[in-house]
Amino acid sequence: MSLLEELGTLGVNIEEGTKRLMGNVSLYERMMGTFHKMMMDSKIQPEDFDCEDCTELIEKTHAIKGASGNLSVTPVYEAYSEIVKLLRQNEPAQAKEVFVKLQPVQEEIIACIEKHM
Amino acid sequence: MDRQHRQQILIVDDEQINRTVLREIFNDDYDILEAANGQDAIFQIKNNHDIILILLDIVMPVKDGFEVLEYMKEEELMQKIPVILITGESVVDSEDRAYAYGVADVMHKPFFPHIVRRRSRNIIQLYQSKHDMEVRLKVQEKAIKAKEKEIRDNNEFMIDALSSVVEFRSAETGEHVRRIKYFTRIMLKYLMKYFPKYNVTQSQAEQIARASALHDIGKIGIQDSILLKPGKLTEQEFEIMKTHTVIGCEILEKFRESQSSEFYRFCYEICRHHHERWDGNGYPDHLVGDEIPISAQIVAIADVYDALVSPRVYKSVYANNIAFDMIMNGECGQFSPDVLECFELAKVDFFNIVEVIKMFDFT
Repeated sequence: MSLLEELGTLGVNIEEGTKRLMGNVSLYERMMGTFHKMMMDSKIQPEDFDCEDCTELIEKTHAIKGASGNLSVTPVYEAYSEIVKLLRQNEPAQAKEVFVKLQPVQEEIIACIEKHM
Repeated sequence: MDRQHRQQILIVDDEQINRTVLREIFNDDYDILEAANGQDAIFQIKNNHDIILILLDIVMPVKDGFEVLEYMKEEELMQKIPVILITGESVVDSEDRAYAYGVADVMHKPFFPHIVRRRSRNIIQLYQSKHDMEVRLKVQEKAIKAKEKEIRDNNEFMIDALSSVVEFRSAETGEHVRRIKYFTRIMLKYLMKYFPKYNVTQSQAEQIARASALHDIGKIGIQDSILLKPGKLTEQEFEIMKTHTVIGCEILEKFRESQSSEFYRFCYEICRHHHERWDGNGYPDHLVGDEIPISAQIVAIADVYDALVSPRVYKSVYANNIAFDMIMNGECGQFSPDVLECFELAKVDFFNIVEVIKMFDFT
């Protein structure tokens, strides 16, 4: 399976994502590489949610939400939308629960991209 | 548009993915500039002058989007370059704050390319139309001002030409009218500065100066035997000569429709009352004190001074300081204390004008 086919099976909306890049599939694939790098650079762990001042975590999750949304990495986008909302409401414990649920899916998507790089 | 002269769109977002998505939307039609934070954005704005749209993220490192908006507000760029705020969240406070800065629109991530493109183009067109209209208005305003000046100059030329007819008839040089205008302007300058109670505006001062040229227009109706008489006039001849004030008003009355009301009023006041005196000993109406319009009071002193320092068929020239003393002493009739104070303030200017006129021999 190609990268995009495989990502499709993981819930990534390939059609919507490539449309957002004006149908430029190779650019979309390159952007997946950028997304992978971004996730590696701003790696989030469950314990990060035990924060008192969560400003930095909000910034990281906010950035992931924006990028995943634009690439239609839908499971990641939807979860991070909820996480950012909860963090802004000062509910880090609930945000952590959402993150923990997402984590295996997120890791699978990252691993898939890494495999095709 | 020619690729070399394409307009620029500045995309400001700290995430490369977001910038790339936006770049793909606009890449075919515009040159794309990118900035990864607010500081880079300000640098790009300072160094590029063809930016027609800024797509601005808010949450960014180094300097955030609001700091960019603050810079643009300080530099008065918000009216010139439309800004579309791109945000990942619907935070009402942030959007309100952004709109208060004057952003053109707010769009949320993830983007829908056709919506982003359509809304961006609408905003670009709106701002360009506004800009084009402002440029057109400026050009039209300039043209109108030039036309107004041309009309004013033409009017002034006609007024001067008409006024000079009287002077040429009395074998004088035609420069009297011009000098009266100079003196009147100077007197009005001091009057406006030191006597605000008269409420004379700059525009009115200019109109009074132009109207001063017509002060003796009624002399057209005085017969040669009196107007050109070299010696002293008899009492009866002087009575006829005095009618030039009334004749002037009759002439003006015939042209009333073609003059704006305020300018006409000044012409009339000056023609009729420039021989009135503060103590009521003037003519034709023997007005007293402030009954005499200020326009006529000013032109009266300018006329008397010029008559004293200029050669006439019936008299020789007085020196500047002697002419000044004669007026201040009341030898040429009584003037109001305010007008005399202005005259005293204007003394050096008056002397200079006379000297400059002599030096260049305008005749």
